[in-house]
Amino acid sequence: MRVVVCAREVLDPDAVSNYVLEGKLEIGEDGRSVVNASIPRLMNAYDEQALEAALRLKDNDESVTVDVVSLGSDSADILKHAAAMGADGIFHLAADPAGLDCSAIGRLLGAWVGSSGGAQLVLCGRQASDDDQGVVPAVLAEALSLPLVTIARDVAVAGDGWRVIRATPDGDETVQVDCSAVVTISNELGDPRYPTMSNKMKARRRTAETVEPSSLGLSADELAPRVVMTSTSVPELHGQCEFIEGGSVDEQAAALVARLRQDEAIAGGSA
Amino acid sequence: MASRDVVLLSIDSGRDGLPSNALRLAAMGRRLADQRGGQLRWLVLGDLPTQLATLAGSYGVTAVDHADDDSLGGWAGDAQVNAAASYLGDRQGALLIAAQTFDSRCIVPRIAARLGCGVVMNVVDLDSDDDGLSLTAAAYGGDTRSGYRFEGDATAVVALGDNVVDAGPAGSQGEAPLETVSLDCGEPERVSVVERAVTEGPRLEDAEVIVAGGRGLQDAANLGLVEELATALGGVVGASRPIVDDGWIDRSQQVGLTGSITRPRLYIAAGISGASQHMVGCTSAKTLVAINIDPDAAVFRQCRYGLVGDCLELLPAITRAIKES
Ligand SMILES: Cc1cc2nc3c(=O)[nH]c(=O)nc-3n(C[C@H](O)[C@H](O)[C@H](O)COP(=O)(O)OP(=O)(O)OC[C@H]3O[C@@H](n4cnc5c(N)ncnc54)[C@H](O)[C@@H]3O)c2cc1C
Repeated sequence: MRVVVCAREVLDPDAVSNYVLEGKLEIGEDGRSVVNASIPRLMNAYDEQALEAALRLKDNDESVTVDVVSLGSDSADILKHAAAMGADGIFHLAADPAGLDCSAIGRLLGAWVGSSGGAQLVLCGRQASDDDQGVVPAVLAEALSLPLVTIARDVAVAGDGWRVIRATPDGDETVQVDCSAVVTISNELGDPRYPTMSNKMKARRRTAETVEPSSLGLSADELAPRVVMTSTSVPELHGQCEFIEGGSVDEQAAALVARLRQDEAIAGGSA
Repeated sequence: MASRDVVLLSIDSGRDGLPSNALRLAAMGRRLADQRGGQLRWLVLGDLPTQLATLAGSYGVTAVDHADDDSLGGWAGDAQVNAAASYLGDRQGALLIAAQTFDSRCIVPRIAARLGCGVVMNVVDLDSDDDGLSLTAAAYGGDTRSGYRFEGDATAVVALGDNVVDAGPAGSQGEAPLETVSLDCGEPERVSVVERAVTEGPRLEDAEVIVAGGRGLQDAANLGLVEELATALGGVVGASRPIVDDGWIDRSQQVGLTGSITRPRLYIAAGISGASQHMVGCTSAKTLVAINIDPDAAVFRQCRYGLVGDCLELLPAITRAIKES
């Protein structure tokens, strides 16, 4: 049984956040790329959890093969990381994401999954922590004519298909799909495994198989971006925080409650 | 000729007779339809929210197109995608605007993929001009904004995020006319629900008062201090992601990008640093209070009142102050 995991590299969102807070985020000349050189590049955390979900299936069933594919210009490190975690095959789809939109990326990944033998399950992270779009898995599902189940915290084999637990805002929802499917994984799955030192060493020698996008038979129109990202900026925050200071803890608490009553944020009189 | 129409899409019946974020959707739709010189229509898949025709009328919606096929009830991903794609297939060039919700996150990009058109999620602002569409979307959990551009007059699909700008007031009166549309919902659903999610207690989205705790509480046992204040205020307990991940509290209480987006009257954040991914879930609160031991914590940039100190002391003190007065 073949499980394909789609993964890509992102800038460490915590580091980006810190630069934003310090007012030091640098945008490149193109007006849209974040260029601070010291921001680490990582595998998108949700994609790492998607890989963890695939490896758990493999832990339970030796016949499961886990192939990881990454589209991007610089995917070598994350693919080695995937190999160290336990992926069987690592594949680099050598397209430049700069000239593609999410729709084209989804079609390319779908075409590769289809042309490389298909899959019983395609796992993706629920969204990338940079653009937060979550569009690629949907396009991929449509390209393969497979059903899409989003925001899962557990995936298990059930009959000819999958039993998936979705982490909804109202709690867990269990769904069944009786065929191959695309499933997106959320952080509720739990922490991904940490590669052992010896697996890391072995993975260092692995090289990803390169897939040329031109080999996938998509037309120029299918790859033409429908939408183009034009800029990145940092929004202004309109805070006007009034600090409640001085006095004992109880006096501060009383001062806060008085302000909240005055603003009608809490009911007046007895609460 | 390409359609200049703007189609609002609702797939949930929401609350109080209106689908999620209906007001902002209507206001944005009105602005875009005016800019494009097209009709504004509202496509409803499944149950018709009772107050929708009135709201739609007040924003000059030409018609509410209601598709009520049996297959659109319950989990209906396939049916909704098929129905919306067939509706838009007859309106090449239209702009589809959906409210972004947990469910529409799964449906909206599939509609775009089915139509072969572009899609942008998390949109906070958009404008149409002679050459296409310009939009702004939240990225990095709200830390940054990305500008996007659709060129030309192809069909476009966008989902309005939660912190969308208010595009303007209602200008008209009366109910929008209701038209029943029959759309091809396609083959039977491939995904079936085995066990529905059940919420116990009030939902964060509906809460008027939320007291939320984060890692600054230091220990799961201290969550009781948050609960006590929430009870004193008649509110609900919220949480940041790390304490959910650590199993202190159920994930249904998580506030933020990957939890609930809340709009309470009062939100008190205790021991929460103010990461953008948390703040997108609470900055729509009318009054935001932060308690943090670190005077430079990011949370203070976006709150109304700040208390610098130990939340383990301040939370019980506030509970006492509420009870005493
Ligand atoms: C893609 C993505 C999605 C995410 N989605 C979410 C989401 O939906 N919701 C969410 O919350 N997070 C989310 N996160 C995580 C988010 O980035 C932060 O890591 C998280 O919100 C931090 O939680 P925290 O504030 O509780 O913990 P910390 O960041 O560790 O902050 C703890 C705070 O407590 C303060 N403190 C310590 N001791 C005390 C004390 N005694 N009294 C008072 N204050 C004290 C500290 O000064 C600090 O500010 C997401 C992250 C990513 C990358």
